[in-house]
Amino acid sequence: MASKFGLAGGIPERRVRPVWDAIDSRQFKNALKLSTALLAKFPNSPYALALKALILERMGKPDEALSVCLSAKELLYKNDSILMDDLTLSTLQIAFQRLDHLDLATSCYEYACGKFPTNLELMMGLFNCYVREYSFVKQQQTAIKMYKLVGEERFLLWAVCSIQLQVFCGNGGEKLLLLAEGLLKKHVASHSLHEPEALIVYLSVLEQQAKYGDALEILSGKLGSLLMIEVDRLRIQGRLLARAGDYTAAASIFQKILELSPDDWECFLHYLGCLLEDDSSWVNGVLNDPIAPPKFLDCKLSHLPDEMFDSRISDASAFMQKLQADTSDNTIRCPYLANLEVERRKHLYGKGDDDKLMEALMQYFFRFGHLACFTTDVEVFVEILTPDKKTEFLEKLMKSSESPSPVPAKALGQSITLLKVQQLISKMYKLSESELEGSACQMVETYCKNLPLSKDLDPQESMYGEELLSMVCNVLVQVIEFVQFKERLQHSNQYLMARVEAPILQLKQNADNIEEEECVLESLKYGIHFIELSNEIGSKSLTFNEDLPSRPWWTPTSEKNYLLGPFEGISYYPREDMTKDREANIRRVIERKSLLPRMVYLSIQSASALLKENIKVNGSVSGPKISSDLKFLLERYAKLLGFSFSNAIEVVVGVSGGQKPSSTIASDLIDWLNFAVFLNAWNLSSHEIAQPDGNGHGHRPGAWHIVDSLLEMYVLEKVRSMDPQICSPCVDLPILVQLVTEPLAWHVLVLQSSVRSSLPSGKKKKKGGSDQPNTPLSHAIRDSIQSVCGTVEHVTKWLREQINRPEDENLETILSFLHKKGQNEGGPGQVFKILETSVSSINETQLGERISQAVKAWSPVDVARKIVTGKCTVASKFLKICESKLKSLHAMKQQIAQV
Amino acid sequence: MTTIRRFCCNDLLRFASVNLDHLTETFNMSFYMTYLARWPDYFHVAEGPGSRVMGYIMGKVEGQGESWHGHVTAVSVAPEYRRQQLAKKLMNLLEEISDKIDKAYFVDLFVRASNTPAIKMYEKLGYVIYRRVLRYYSGEEDGLDMRKALSRDVEKKSIIPLKRPITPDELEYD
Repeated sequence: MASKFGLAGGIPERRVRPVWDAIDSRQFKNALKLSTALLAKFPNSPYALALKALILERMGKPDEALSVCLSAKELLYKNDSILMDDLTLSTLQIAFQRLDHLDLATSCYEYACGKFPTNLELMMGLFNCYVREYSFVKQQQTAIKMYKLVGEERFLLWAVCSIQLQVFCGNGGEKLLLLAEGLLKKHVASHSLHEPEALIVYLSVLEQQAKYGDALEILSGKLGSLLMIEVDRLRIQGRLLARAGDYTAAASIFQKILELSPDDWECFLHYLGCLLEDDSSWVNGVLNDPIAPPKFLDCKLSHLPDEMFDSRISDASAFMQKLQADTSDNTIRCPYLANLEVERRKHLYGKGDDDKLMEALMQYFFRFGHLACFTTDVEVFVEILTPDKKTEFLEKLMKSSESPSPVPAKALGQSITLLKVQQLISKMYKLSESELEGSACQMVETYCKNLPLSKDLDPQESMYGEELLSMVCNVLVQVIEFVQFKERLQHSNQYLMARVEAPILQLKQNADNIEEEECVLESLKYGIHFIELSNEIGSKSLTFNEDLPSRPWWTPTSEKNYLLGPFEGISYYPREDMTKDREANIRRVIERKSLLPRMVYLSIQSASALLKENIKVNGSVSGPKISSDLKFLLERYAKLLGFSFSNAIEVVVGVSGGQKPSSTIASDLIDWLNFAVFLNAWNLSSHEIAQPDGNGHGHRPGAWHIVDSLLEMYVLEKVRSMDPQICSPCVDLPILVQLVTEPLAWHVLVLQSSVRSSLPSGKKKKKGGSDQPNTPLSHAIRDSIQSVCGTVEHVTKWLREQINRPEDENLETILSFLHKKGQNEGGPGQVFKILETSVSSINETQLGERISQAVKAWSPVDVARKIVTGKCTVASKFLKICESKLKSLHAMKQQIAQV
Repeated sequence: MTTIRRFCCNDLLRFASVNLDHLTETFNMSFYMTYLARWPDYFHVAEGPGSRVMGYIMGKVEGQGESWHGHVTAVSVAPEYRRQQLAKKLMNLLEEISDKIDKAYFVDLFVRASNTPAIKMYEKLGYVIYRRVLRYYSGEEDGLDMRKALSRDVEKKSIIPLKRPITPDELEYD
């Protein structure tokens, strides 16, 4: 190709390089300058254009980038003499892909391949285009073409994989697999196979058709030697045999693997499963959740007759005994843990013996109790025990700890394990507060006492007993694959949430200026798309990809901050049903959130339509339509909150008037206030809410009043609850911020819209007197502005106070809080004191210099100072938001005064 | 108690426990997926009882002629499974693959010059410091390029240490 002669896309390499260098170092301005210069020299080069498009896209100018891309494409199509090299096309492809136009990239490659049907490089590019678009059939066709052209193994495999994808994704029948098998067979006959991956693909095609016998034959034949790691080959063999139902043969294969690698736990489970003729691990492999696999290996009750079950179990035990005897390596745990699994199977079969299980647990503890992984190893087995037996197990562990291991590090490990088991069986949560604090203190003391053990360790090794500290915290608070993976990610709830939140954030950021806000709304197609999204959610399958078990149980979630208690009934990990609740909850939240953009839009429209009655807005939606649309959404919103429309109205009216307690709507506070704001906006054009105060005005100041008083009520309540700010954990601050940046901001928008439309605009001068009918409304608006102003000012004042407090005073508050608690024998202060004492009583010779330095650096004042600084930063950011809100409110006040 | 198997995409969503460590770097998804797609043989995960992720190793094979070699990009073990020779097992597996399947001349890896425990471990596994790469880590800390010769490099030419340190732009590969 051209690039071989020092040319890149028809342009000398030395001219192109600086552009790429600039792009790679992210100096896009410079890159653009260079590429413009390049284009001046080569105005008709599609490659130069593609480069420019790429740069424009990176600079955040997608529209310009797209038009440059399109002219490059046009040049390619128009001028036959122009080079069609892969470099040009792939550069263009990157630009198109980033612009979300994979289809255009594909058509460029299709065109090029049509012109040069034997160019392998271009065809590979085309194949990749189809891969990106998930067009499996076209992938297959292109791969076959390449295979026919050069007969290479890899192209055949590409074709076969494309076929497998069609079958996996439900668009192709079994016949396609037969085709794939035939292609492979033919190729093997003429060329054999050369890559291990090729053999794996071949086997998987057979396995997919349940042709286990054929697969086994190939594996044991000459081709099998492609798999050079013996254990790998044996694993496949075992799996195929088990799938084919030949459990005896499969068990002996797994036995062989265990002899080669005695610590392979999964293999042991397969071995035992095959002995007991349990096919569950082969059948439902697909159904299991791959992210949070069940802790219990699912197994079927064995259907074997009694004697056979006994003899198989004793075979397994004997084999494990042998493995234990054969291995000298004392890090190998599998043959020992196997005893526990054997007891568990007996239990499942109805022949369990709790005492034997307990004995096996104790044996395992004596051997491996000092290891950090002991607790996770035995977790599933402890679960089988009844609560009484669990307590008994714990007691036995405690008793054994009275005669600890003579090796100090081991003894420490064992005592940590003991505490972990305690946490595992939820003992901790049943203890009283003082007992808990006692055990926390004990842990910290153990930690301090054992610091000398770490003297000889390297700085970067973890210290012995480090886990103790994190446990203290727990106590004190109480290919084919790729496609499937992509689907999983796309169904992710977080992805969806992010998709909804992104525009809402944009709306929030621009909420101070109604014109800008309208631009944003326009770019969101007035939120219509999100309504559709919300409609779909019910039927969509969402995936939940969070890796929950890796976080401590008290990690705050968006729904619940566990740190605030109560601690009743919290198990170590989130329970299954809690997870379900959580998932349903997230669904509802996304559904509600995705209604927001449209409601904001309609509310603005509703407020402006009111004053220019019957004027068509934006030429599309007319007043009555807005009103009915908005009502429809309000009804849905209410339903998502669990209320009917009329009940929901009652709730907001009741709460704002003080007839209902403010806690009624506290759980979904933001959503309720949003509801009230939009309700008011809707009322502007529908006038449907009856007027209890009977002042006889056409427009209901009452609805304004509801919003105003709700906003005021809750904002003030939140501010009050956080005084003094620095001491409390500040859980209410995010809610307060959300109050100001969501419902309050939307309300300000409604106000802006009302004010704007009541102002005489440049051309259409209002006739004198036409203001008259709106006077009560103008009053209502004026009052509302006044009220919101007052609310925001209150927040601003409080924030200023917080920010202006001297840092030392804040520090003092936090520290005294700790000390105070420490004095009355309880609270976190006690642990704190132990740490403090240990800092002041360091024995350098005992600890070695490094550790004592590290301990000294543990200064509570510094930590507190960081907390204070962080909080002040947040407060000043928030203050800025409030100030800009105030500014626009004051501007409105002036405007409305002129009317 | 380890089952070492190939890493798969879904493991990316559950290996956080291994990566939550101040010395371990977490890359973006596409980085891992590139490795998975291009060198599936060089990306393995170790699973313990209850399907817990204990640790993983990722690497690649690259180079030309006598510098055709396996490279360890990352090897990491979760805290509760340390001091059990798991890293050793993972390293041995990668070496075996480089040696037997890809017939590479050597395996290499980069390590922070300050990471003494890791350097000691690699030395125990037979690696030697081949050269020092100045300011390799974020332009601050030096990196050490450590190598272990495989059976194909009979004379062990690949591991004769260089006399002078080099700068990152002198490196042959990324």
